[in-house]
Amino acid sequence: MSELELRLVALREEIDFPPTPALSVAVERAVALAPARRRRLRPLALVLAVVLVAALGVLALSPGARSAFLELFHLRGATVSRVEELPEVELIERAELLGVPVTLAAARRRAGFELADLGEPDEVYLRGDGLVTFVYGSIERPRLLLSQVRGMVWDGFVKKVGARGTSVQEVEIEGERGLFVSGDPHFVMYLDSMFRIQEERAYLAGTTLLWNRGDVLFRLEADVELAEALELARAVK
Amino acid sequence: MSRPPTEDELVERARRGDGAAFGALVRMEEEIAFRTAYLITRNAADAEDAAQAAFVKAFYALPRFRRGAPLRPWLLAIVANEARNKRRGGGRREALVQRAAQELPSGDAAPSPEGRLLAEEQRAELLVALESLGEDDRLVLSCRYLLELSEGETAEVLSLRRGTVKSRTSRALERLRGHLREER
Repeated sequence: MSELELRLVALREEIDFPPTPALSVAVERAVALAPARRRRLRPLALVLAVVLVAALGVLALSPGARSAFLELFHLRGATVSRVEELPEVELIERAELLGVPVTLAAARRRAGFELADLGEPDEVYLRGDGLVTFVYGSIERPRLLLSQVRGMVWDGFVKKVGARGTSVQEVEIEGERGLFVSGDPHFVMYLDSMFRIQEERAYLAGTTLLWNRGDVLFRLEADVELAEALELARAVK
Repeated sequence: MSRPPTEDELVERARRGDGAAFGALVRMEEEIAFRTAYLITRNAADAEDAAQAAFVKAFYALPRFRRGAPLRPWLLAIVANEARNKRRGGGRREALVQRAAQELPSGDAAPSPEGRLLAEEQRAELLVALESLGEDDRLVLSCRYLLELSEGETAEVLSLRRGTVKSRTSRALERLRGHLREER
């Protein structure tokens, strides 16, 4: 090492760096709510993207943005669209999609609408936008997930389906439209607070039934056939 | 008494979502991470934000971290990236300053007041010369000597090839010598 290099090394001790903040405290707090783990998937061709939308604040959209958005909808509060190739996405764990665990009483208190169920759930999750999910089984190994969110009060959609690997069937439940998505797993994406579709992060979901009841959007995910899914949907009280 | 966990063990636990294990890793690396961010942003608040954001991102990215690889350069590369993004946002830049002179005990081994003054002046001169370098030169020398990173680590942090770090360091030292000659 040359003399100049030695002087530079010595200078290290002489520099008055600002004191190092205790980063670990803030970082630990930030990751405490993190999902157990994430994985990255290769792009999947011809996969269905199901977007459940946040319930609140949609009327704040500009008219132009809203009409563009309306074109995507299939149910009030949800759209199913077929894409040729999904972008590479970061898969998130189910728990992150669902929000934070809460008691049933807290969920009922904070949902802002009357929650329906299939019996007392084993676990309850609440997300910031009001989505409530009842877990039957455990979050790691759920037998059934029932989510509900107060959806949009307006309607309108352009249907883009025609599955290869994933089938989408229109169904009717108690006089309202619904969608049964089965076959290959599909991505579930969410809108951020500015109502932009977050295409970079998604949750990989299995067989799903989506339906509206009044202004509430229900989503049931379980490894069941259509007939059983419809039976379960009708039993949601 | 049980031995403290190794870095690899902490990484493995953090990879499985153990926030406390990751917190322990953060404590081990927070000083160098903050200083790396500071040398790039030159603003303490921005450096704190950048380092904190980088650690959180690193936690999420742990599944992509190669098992058995040294954690520090990988972490610092994320920190440097965050710091560069922060710096683009503007903000007040702070200059590197010397510590205030400390009282040294008197005795045979202690330098004379004149000697201390001279050494202090030389360090101040070196700091001014370092600060007057272009950013590429300043950063490569800061990584190599102020943060004591190896060539390989510097390459990761600055997103350069190892050979580029070597040649850039050599040229930066030459330019630093030139600045020091000009100051005299």
